[in-house]
Amino acid sequence: MIAGLALAAGIVLGLILRPTVPTWLEPYLPIAVVAALDAVFGGLRARLDGIFDAKVFVVSFISNVLVAALIVFLGDKLGVGSQLSTAVVVVLGIRIFGNAAAIRRHLFRA
Amino acid sequence: MRRRYDRPAVALGCLLIGFVLVVAYVRTHRGAPAAAKVHADLVDRVRSAQHQADQLDGRARGLERQLAKLQQQSLPQADSRRLDTEQLAAGQVAVHGPGMTVTLREPKKSAHSSNGGRGGTTGIAATNILTDRDVRSVVNELFRDGAEAVAVNGVRLTPTSAIRFAGQAVLVDYQPISSPYEISAVGDADTLSTNFAQSAVASRYQTLKGVDGIGFSFAESSRLSLPASAATALRYATPLRRSR
Repeated sequence: MIAGLALAAGIVLGLILRPTVPTWLEPYLPIAVVAALDAVFGGLRARLDGIFDAKVFVVSFISNVLVAALIVFLGDKLGVGSQLSTAVVVVLGIRIFGNAAAIRRHLFRA
Repeated sequence: MRRRYDRPAVALGCLLIGFVLVVAYVRTHRGAPAAAKVHADLVDRVRSAQHQADQLDGRARGLERQLAKLQQQSLPQADSRRLDTEQLAAGQVAVHGPGMTVTLREPKKSAHSSNGGRGGTTGIAATNILTDRDVRSVVNELFRDGAEAVAVNGVRLTPTSAIRFAGQAVLVDYQPISSPYEISAVGDADTLSTNFAQSAVASRYQTLKGVDGIGFSFAESSRLSLPASAATALRYATPLRRSR
């Protein structure tokens, strides 16, 4: 309940503020997006599993974003930024699918 | 287990997630309009530069008219007349008189098939048939036939004029012009049109008219007026002093 409201509030906030993304932050935006989606699905799965923990939810989201950004930052410095960015997206994408599968099993028992 | 910071933490996390998602969405969907904005901006800049060039051109013309008047007032009669003839030859004064007009026009739709042949090549249909060479050959032929002053699409030709080709546009004195190309020449109308009609250039374009479907026509005119060209400042050429 509170989660859904906060999500809607975040969306409204973004639509109202319409922040321009600074150029130096742009390479990290796709990672942040995938990490956010991962956090949503992970949180939903934990909730259904009955092991949801707010601290884990928030900390894992923020730390995932930071670690992914660090990896991409290092990659940028070493000239493999786009490849590492793809790697991060793939890994988080696999996690999203895993979580989605767990949610599906919970909801449909299939 | 429930802690008291659970709800704010979840709210904060979800707020952050929603914010990130919407920022990414907004940025992605503003990308295309941004490109359009840049394009519109560039078009605006080109337009304003053209406008400015037109204004400067108009000012130059006005100043030249003033200069001509002052010269006429201050110079002795003989010198004034000589200056007039020389300015006429240099294309620096607007002229009117009898002459003829030749019109070249790109075909509406290319007569060639739209099949460009091999992949990755520009089909012949995509390119213009008429180029700077065609405009130039007509201009040269008109001068050969006795034209005293020539203008292409309202751009007067001077001794320093060049007819060039850049991309898909014909440039006359660095001003882009497009089809139809209207080449006006002042001279003895009868001589001009008779000579031109008999020239190899005219017969070539008659042939092209039949084969490629270009528009080609020429007509005598009893009264043509050609604009003046802005004077070109010569920076390196200096008059050769004649020993007296």
